[in-house]
Amino acid sequence: MASVSGNMKGFFRQRKTKNATKSSKKPAIHTDAPQPPALISHGGSPDIEDEHNDNEAVLRQFDLNMAYGPCLGMTRLARWERAQKLGLNPPQEIERLLKTGKVHTESLWDGRI
Amino acid sequence: MGMERVHCGYECCDEAFEIRKETYQGQQYSQIYFARLHLMRTLLYSLVPNWKPNFSVCTVLELKEDKECVIVGTLYKHMKLKPRILDEYSKQRTVVPLVKPHNFVHPDDPLVLEDESGRVKLSGNVISPSEYATGVVVALLGKETGAGDFLVLDILEAGLPPQIELPLKSREDKYVVFLSGLSIGSSNSNPLQFQLLIDHITGYLGDEKAQSVASQIVHVVIAGNSVEKPRELPNGQKISRMAESIKELDILLNQIVAGLPLDIMPGPSDPANFLLPQQPLHRCLFPGSSTYNTFRSCTNPHCFELDNVRFLGTSGQNVDDLAKYSEAKDKLEFMERTLRWRHLAPTAPNTLGCYPYTDRDPFFIENCPHVYFVGNQDKYETRMIKGTEGQLVRLICIPKFSETGVAVMLNLRDLECHALTFGTQFNS
Repeated sequence: MASVSGNMKGFFRQRKTKNATKSSKKPAIHTDAPQPPALISHGGSPDIEDEHNDNEAVLRQFDLNMAYGPCLGMTRLARWERAQKLGLNPPQEIERLLKTGKVHTESLWDGRI
Repeated sequence: MGMERVHCGYECCDEAFEIRKETYQGQQYSQIYFARLHLMRTLLYSLVPNWKPNFSVCTVLELKEDKECVIVGTLYKHMKLKPRILDEYSKQRTVVPLVKPHNFVHPDDPLVLEDESGRVKLSGNVISPSEYATGVVVALLGKETGAGDFLVLDILEAGLPPQIELPLKSREDKYVVFLSGLSIGSSNSNPLQFQLLIDHITGYLGDEKAQSVASQIVHVVIAGNSVEKPRELPNGQKISRMAESIKELDILLNQIVAGLPLDIMPGPSDPANFLLPQQPLHRCLFPGSSTYNTFRSCTNPHCFELDNVRFLGTSGQNVDDLAKYSEAKDKLEFMERTLRWRHLAPTAPNTLGCYPYTDRDPFFIENCPHVYFVGNQDKYETRMIKGTEGQLVRLICIPKFSETGVAVMLNLRDLECHALTFGTQFNS
């Protein structure tokens, strides 16, 4: 993408700049490693943002924790409530995250299995 | 000289079996197995210290060779003779042995104990695989052998649940009539036999003595299979034939509900859902009877209380399924086992259809009933069993009425049972 300059030359013609200038806007997709197509097919948008999201990492640990039972086919909140009901004392932090944060309500395997 | 029917307090306890807020979100049966294991394991852990105070409890993966310890998990029985869909695709086209259709038990079936961490094969002759089925949760004392399996030295089952004691005050005679397998619409159902039963219950039959006994009947319970599924017919005749059967049933039940309370449960051949717990038969099937407040359509399994006597029963699917995958000397023994395992239908969902619950297992028995009944059996059988904490349960196998003409009468005063037989032939 060519950087937007103030003069009219830039307006009329898209010209590839020889020196690759970094545009002021950071692109939304910011990849370091090649992503397998399977991850991108879910929902049409890559989940890469979540990799950098600590909340999601904590929730994934909750999903994979064997003590709370299988995670497939249930929303994370329902699984947390079941763990609570069975007396397993799941961490309160997870409940807060699920009720307030903008996190995935479904487990990490949702839509992929 | 009018006679008044005796009254009785009734309370229905079917909330656990009704499907109201559950939704299907693609969950699998692992959820109900997890709920069952967790529920029963917590219970068994509380019983282990009294049972084997000197041994520690560990999970299956934590087992060490030659160290005696207690493990708790779900039993799995690998059955050689059980038909498996994958056999159809196996490359070796061996001739599958002709199996007895009613029982798939083989003397070599191994038992495996499983929890979330792993599974271990069980060995030794303390635990007999023919008495158990997949889905039962038990605690086992034993040790891991060099061969990698677990040598069982002792078994702990959950045992009968706690029971509220029946008050000993002298009660008057109050009778409950149990029926099942009316099979209206089938070729061997005899409408005259059922009409005789209705006339007896409602007091239109017999002399004053018989009528006074009938006036002490306080409740009627129909445990499933009230109509028979019609055979396959080419066009839409099947639906209309079933509709005729249901209409006939409604007319007959109308005569009963006009006089006393009736509970009707669905069974395997009734127009209800297939998975357990079966939901109540819809009111629209009984346009005449459902206008009475004495008519009650219930779930299968069904739990209720009459004058504080607790009843629990099914239309037979739980015990019939156990009979296919394990062995016992009679059906009453299967019933006793389900109570000692504290689980109504341990083979669900493995071989018995069951709703995929996520957070509970409604077949777990929390309170011990005083009367436990099972419908659609081949013959009338009954026994009283005792628990380790003084629980007393009356077990009843209700026979199929269309085949035997036998209904069961239970006296609430002392939980004694007898058979009510109706015959329409004059030869003995």
